[in-house]
Amino acid sequence: MSGPSLEVRRSSASLWGEKTGMRRLPVLSKYIDTTTCIGCKACEVACQEWNDLGVVPTRQTGSYQTLPTLDAEYWNLIKFSERETENGGLAWLMRKDQCMHCEDPGCLAACPAPGAIVQYENGIVDVDPARCIGCGYCLTGCPFNVPRFHKKTGKMAKCTLCVDRTQVGLEPACVKACPTACLQFGTKEDMLALGRARVEQLGADGFKNAALYDPPGVGGTGVVTVLRHGDHPEWYDLPRDPQVPLAVRLWKNVLRPFGALAILGTVLAALAHFLTYGPKQPPGTGEEGA
Amino acid sequence: MVRARSTEDVVVGDEVVRHRLASRVIHWTVGILCLVCVLSGMPIWTPVFGWMAGLLGGLAVCRVVHPWAGLLFLAAIGAMFLNWRRDMRLTSRDREWLGPKVLSYVTYAEHDDQVGKYNGGQKLFFFAVSLASLALAASGIVLWLPTSFPQAVRVAGILLHDGTFILFAMAIVLHIYLPAAQPGTYRAMTRGTVSAAWARLHHPRWHREVTAGIERR
Repeated sequence: MSGPSLEVRRSSASLWGEKTGMRRLPVLSKYIDTTTCIGCKACEVACQEWNDLGVVPTRQTGSYQTLPTLDAEYWNLIKFSERETENGGLAWLMRKDQCMHCEDPGCLAACPAPGAIVQYENGIVDVDPARCIGCGYCLTGCPFNVPRFHKKTGKMAKCTLCVDRTQVGLEPACVKACPTACLQFGTKEDMLALGRARVEQLGADGFKNAALYDPPGVGGTGVVTVLRHGDHPEWYDLPRDPQVPLAVRLWKNVLRPFGALAILGTVLAALAHFLTYGPKQPPGTGEEGA
Repeated sequence: MVRARSTEDVVVGDEVVRHRLASRVIHWTVGILCLVCVLSGMPIWTPVFGWMAGLLGGLAVCRVVHPWAGLLFLAAIGAMFLNWRRDMRLTSRDREWLGPKVLSYVTYAEHDDQVGKYNGGQKLFFFAVSLASLALAASGIVLWLPTSFPQAVRVAGILLHDGTFILFAMAIVLHIYLPAAQPGTYRAMTRGTVSAAWARLHHPRWHREVTAGIERR
């Protein structure tokens, strides 16, 4: 690990080992303005190029989307949807889909492999494929359906917010390639300011329901998205109120520790029984209870 | 030394044959596969047991070994069920084991003269393990192939697999404790025989039936 930004804030399945908690770094954030996206997919190409990802065969499903969904070798995808709006207009919507880099990552919470998923002090959520065991729990933990698994190795792969670029002061590849500047990169504070300004502007243009999508249920996300129809995130294939599933919390924080205590308790009960009662004796051997 | 091969429930000298060879082989196959499942599963369950992953070559190996061992375990449990299902038929007297009878058994409060080859607790354990194995297998398939199932099924699978394992582990602790604490029990499953005194103490009705040559089927 090199550079202060790569110190770990949170690590999967780590008891007390891996976090340093030393540095208060500004959270790095990607800003996506879906209202000025033209769907050119330069960002998809840039991501493939920068990360040396393999070719993923495309399938025509009657949509402008390159693929129906993310892939282990396709980390960012422009999602298209079209529908009629209430006043008879057409909403032709494009949203750049990729890992949201949640402040409270569900993938990290669910992962059973120590250090396979880490969150750096700058908020980026990253996968260490050497430690990933390909079990798929992260997919169950993620409210955005992002984790994908390599066909051959079974390892999970997703957008890294170009941690290797940001670490040396460069913007992510997708942001660099975008021709309309609808993708921006900087601190979360700065991106939120951009988002608020844009939402205000859209409101003045008559889009009263425009909103900045930064869901509180996962502690906010590193990727913030301006939506023209902010009252209908589901039109953009975004969950309305994403949270780490309650079942994942119950499993890790309740069922598991109490279960472990119950098993240990059974061992202790057996020991206590043996010390108190010992083996069964035939009746009438005259041994009194302890 | 009596070699208990194909016949059980017979008296040979001052010993009684309790488990024939086939039964013992099935039991230990189940036991060893259970151990492999536990050794490969617990490091995935909690990083507290991460050190156990090294026994099999790492956590990634555990993740591959565990479901295959689980399938083999299910097959062995199937053989076990077929082998013991007649002996484990529940009678009305066994129902008492769901109540305070357990306490009198554990505290040796009374000597029950009517205990047959398997007491009610053993029979209930048999059915509980059979059921638990099915639950583990079903939820295990979901965990093995997570991308083939919807989110709700995955969540249910995790909770069912986890919860069933915990109950299973508690039962196994007792299953290992009881033979360990009662002298003369362990060899029933290794050599296949028990002493007449052991039979009279723990399973008196079975001892009477066996010495009288009563057919148990």
